This record gives sequence, structure tokens and C-alpha cells, in this order.
Amino acid sequence: MSVTIGILGKRCLPLEKAKGPTLLFHTALQGAFAEHQSRLQNLHLKRKIATVLVKTTEDLERCDGLIIPGGESTTIALLARLSGLTDALKQFIQSKPVWGTCAGAILLSRSVTGAKKDGQELFGGVSVDIARNGWGSQVESFEAALDVNGLSDSAVPYTGIFIRAPVVIGLDSNAAIQVIARLPPNLLPEPVDDENDPRTIVALREGQHLLTTFHPELTKDDRFHDYFARNCVFPTLAS
Amino acid sequence: MSIHPIFRLNNGILSRPSACPSESRRHALHFSFGDSISMATPSSTTTTAPTPAAANGTSTAPPRATREGGGNSSIGTFGVKSGLAQMLKGGVIMDVVNAQQARIAEEAGACAVMALERVPADIRVEGGVARMSDPALIKEICAAVTIPVMAKVRIGHFVEAQILQSIGVDYIDESEVLTPADEEMHINKHNFKIPFVCGARNLGEALRRVAEGAAFIRTKGEAGTGNVVEAVRHSRAVNAEIRKASVMTEEELYVYAKEIQAPFHLLKETARLKRLPVVSFAAGGVATPADAAMMMQLGCDGVFVGSGIFKSGDPAKRARAIVQAVTHYNNPKILAEVSENLGEPMVGLNIDDKLKGGRLAERGW
Repeated sequence: MSVTIGILGKRCLPLEKAKGPTLLFHTALQGAFAEHQSRLQNLHLKRKIATVLVKTTEDLERCDGLIIPGGESTTIALLARLSGLTDALKQFIQSKPVWGTCAGAILLSRSVTGAKKDGQELFGGVSVDIARNGWGSQVESFEAALDVNGLSDSAVPYTGIFIRAPVVIGLDSNAAIQVIARLPPNLLPEPVDDENDPRTIVALREGQHLLTTFHPELTKDDRFHDYFARNCVFPTLAS
Repeated sequence: MSIHPIFRLNNGILSRPSACPSESRRHALHFSFGDSISMATPSSTTTTAPTPAAANGTSTAPPRATREGGGNSSIGTFGVKSGLAQMLKGGVIMDVVNAQQARIAEEAGACAVMALERVPADIRVEGGVARMSDPALIKEICAAVTIPVMAKVRIGHFVEAQILQSIGVDYIDESEVLTPADEEMHINKHNFKIPFVCGARNLGEALRRVAEGAAFIRTKGEAGTGNVVEAVRHSRAVNAEIRKASVMTEEELYVYAKEIQAPFHLLKETARLKRLPVVSFAAGGVATPADAAMMMQLGCDGVFVGSGIFKSGDPAKRARAIVQAVTHYNNPKILAEVSENLGEPMVGLNIDDKLKGGRLAERGW
């Protein structure tokens, strides 16, 4: 059984003809969609995963899951609007699993601080408040080893690459949010004493949605993609 | 042609030695870019080569620094430098000369802006020495937008680069559009935490820049002309050379590395990947959505537009059209729609011996 995962972004060419059922992710409007695609293609799971780069509503309809990649959130939101994808995406998020990395995480949040001057459009779907560009300019971008709950080989730290990364500044306390990874408090832009401060959260799950403020697609470590496929997407599919 | 000491071959994967032996990174950063910069698994070899001496007096900033407060984290790695370039892929980077233009670019969907005092078309007309822009102007532009801001320094002018790094620009363009400050050497870009983009006309030039630490390459094109012919020439030249290298034996690659004056290990990695080992954009002369889509179809990852937008009749509309053209570059129907009624394009210049301001692409070594 194969599954199709779409990636929001560039050119939408199905890279492989899926044999049997499919799981697609990825929007391909702007950003690091090709990187997500190659991580997904490296996975060896029981269900075959096909990937589609999503640029139109037709592409989106074929998907069982979706990844919104890193890039510029303002650019991705505008291109989604101009491509007539925004409403379809919002509907997709209501019913199917979506993973946002960095810019994608911003687009999935319920509110954003540090938006561009006239405000910016979000898709919503995850009950968190997020601040864009929490660490400052590119010079402050960094890599850090993360301990992640629930990844395979969880004893091995996962290298998070944080590039002009957003910060989670608030959570809906009524929502069933599961924190997957935190940064040590001393690595935050302004160190905090409380280890449970939302600002330490860099990966979380709400239901079938996954949100990471760093870029798993920039590493060769595909455990996060494995996690998303197995824990978020596969359970939503009829077997 | 000697191999730059900063790269070493490690099981066929290029890696950069750790600059700071005491840092607590558990993962070796690898130069193996096919699609991305990779992190090796912790069991892989960690490199221990000595830190190369700073070549040009820019020893103030170590290539990689541990964040204050410790914790397993490091800034200024090649992974974060090239990672930002990867986030810009499929996007348009626009030249702007003030905060108002920067806002127009952001609203039009630019993925980054290049902050300048004068766009290349004006530099051509006005002549004289073109230098780094006033830091106050760059800071004003940084404050106006939320997208990454780039700024240009003169080729070889490492102090201008130190200044831009200190004011918190996101990317530096070591650019032939400004008057070169050094006629032999480029900046040693490994010495900076801030990433650099550099222009190239061919594969040898591109790989020399990557060896010096550029995390992002663009074609040179011929800036300020509104004439895409040179960008096409440079992009095709790089593609042809990569295709040639990709079928060579290792013995032939040694000879080819000598011929094109490229570091062997980077040439070998490029041949394996069948593309440049870093993100590569088109630049220099792009003026219409069709120009931008053409460069994308030629294999570029994104597009810089300099004078083409704000020297045209309706900048906001043209900017948005070029952004859409870069996303839908393979869809002529959408390209036709976005190309309609854009108003006057910038005035184009023929590239010949009478070109005012001369051929900027010839700067750089």
C-alpha cells in the first residue's frame, strides 16, 4: 500500500508513479521543498510513499498528508493566495495531517508576532502563538543537538538547524498539545529559568499535525520524516 | 592549483574541519550537498585538521563560534549559511534603494531584498567608484521588512564585510557591481559567521568562490543592462561544464580541475551531484517574467532582479509578476497571464564595446 504526501512548493510533477495507494506531502511554492522530497524518498517503510510537489488544488487533492516547507512565510502565503490554494489548504488542514517546518510552522500557527507591516495571512490549524525570526538576523542562526521524544534511536540526539527560526510564545492550554522537543533554556534569545516555558519548545504535535521551528529537511537524518509518516499520516489512512 | 586547506575528503564526502576543537558539537558537518547540507550520524568520523590561518587579516571572527552560555549549539556553521540559501530557493531577491521600495518588494512576495544606495543601472550611468552602502540606509531597510536583507561589498573588501556582519545583515553579496577593492584576492569568507553569495561566469569561477567559503552562487550576467543574454551565457556555461565533468573518469577530472582552475575535491563532488554543490541563482539583466522563467528552466534555483523592477513603469505589478513566474516557470499559460499589462519594462542596453560603465562581469578572479 502506498501513501501520497504532498509538499507545498515548486513545480508539481509526480516524481514517481505510485503503485497502489499513496501518501503525498509538500507544498512547493517557495522554499526548501526539494529537500523534503529527497528525505521522504529515502524512507523505507511498509507503505510506499509517493511525493508530489503541490502548486495547485488538483495536486492537493491527491495528497494524504502535506508538508509546508521552510522558506519565507510571507512569500508562501502570497503565492498560495495567488494560486487559489489558500482555501483548499485551510480545508485540507481540517481533515488531514500537515507538518510545518519553520515558515510552515508560522503558517500553521493561530497567531503570529513580528508579521510584516500590513499583517500577514496564516493557514492556522495548530493552537500555538508564534513569533517570527525569534533569534534576530542570520548571524544568530545556529545548530543544536536535540533530544526528541518518540524518534527512532531516541538515544541519538537530532541535530536541529535553526535558520532565522521562529519561537513558540504561547499555547492554548485546553488543546491536546504534545511537546516533542525542547531547547535548553540557556540557548533561547533571552534565557528563561523555567524549563516548561513555551519558548523552549521547538517541536510539537497537536493531533495529526506536526510543527517544528527548525529544519529537519536540511540534515541527512530522516528520522523526523519517518516520525511524521508513521505517527501522523499512517494512522489516518484506512489500512 | 592547490587544494584549499579548509576542505578535506572524508570517505568521499567533503567535510570542513572543525574550527574550534573544544566545541561540543557531536555531529560532524559534511559538505555533501546533493539536495542539502547533511549532518553525518554521530558515529562518523570527526575531522581534526588544524584551523587554517586567517589569510587576509580578518582573523577577528572565527568561522564557527559556540553560542554564549554553552549548550550543544554552534552558530555560523556552513550548514546554517547554506541553509538560508536553501530557504530562498524558488524565490526572487530584489534590489531596493530605500525602505519604501523594500516594503513594495516584500508585499510583492520577494523572498529577500538587496539593500543598495544605487541600483546597477544608475551605477553605470553615474560612474565613479561604487562602494558599500551607508549602514544607516541598510539598517533602515532591515527595520522596514521581515524578510532577509542582503547587502553588497566590494570584491576583496573584508572590512566592509566585517561592518555588514556587525550591523546584522542576513547575507553579503561580494559583488562585481561595486568597484573591486582587491584585484587578486576575494574575501576569505570562511572567516565570517555571515554567509556570502558570489557571482560566477563559469564552473571554475563558481568552485573557486565555494572554496573561499561562498554558501550561495549566482550568475554574473551583466548588471544594469536589462539584457539577459550574459546571464544565459553564464548559466549555460556552468551547465555544460558540469555535464562534461559528470561523465569524466577520476583521472580526467584531475586534468579538468587544472584546466578550469577549480579545486579538485569540489569538482569531483559537483560531478557526482551533477549540479553545483550550493544553491545557484540567476542574476544580471533579468527584466521580465519571461526572463526569470527562462533562467529557472535553465536550471537556476531562483532569481535576483536588480534594476529590472524599480526602473520599470509599474514596479509593484512587475515584482509580483516575476515572483509568480519563478514559481510557475514551467507553465506558459500562467506566464502569459502574469506578463499582461505590466507597463514599460526598464530600458535595455546592448552589451558591446560601447556599453556605458563597461562589462562588470569581467571583474572577479
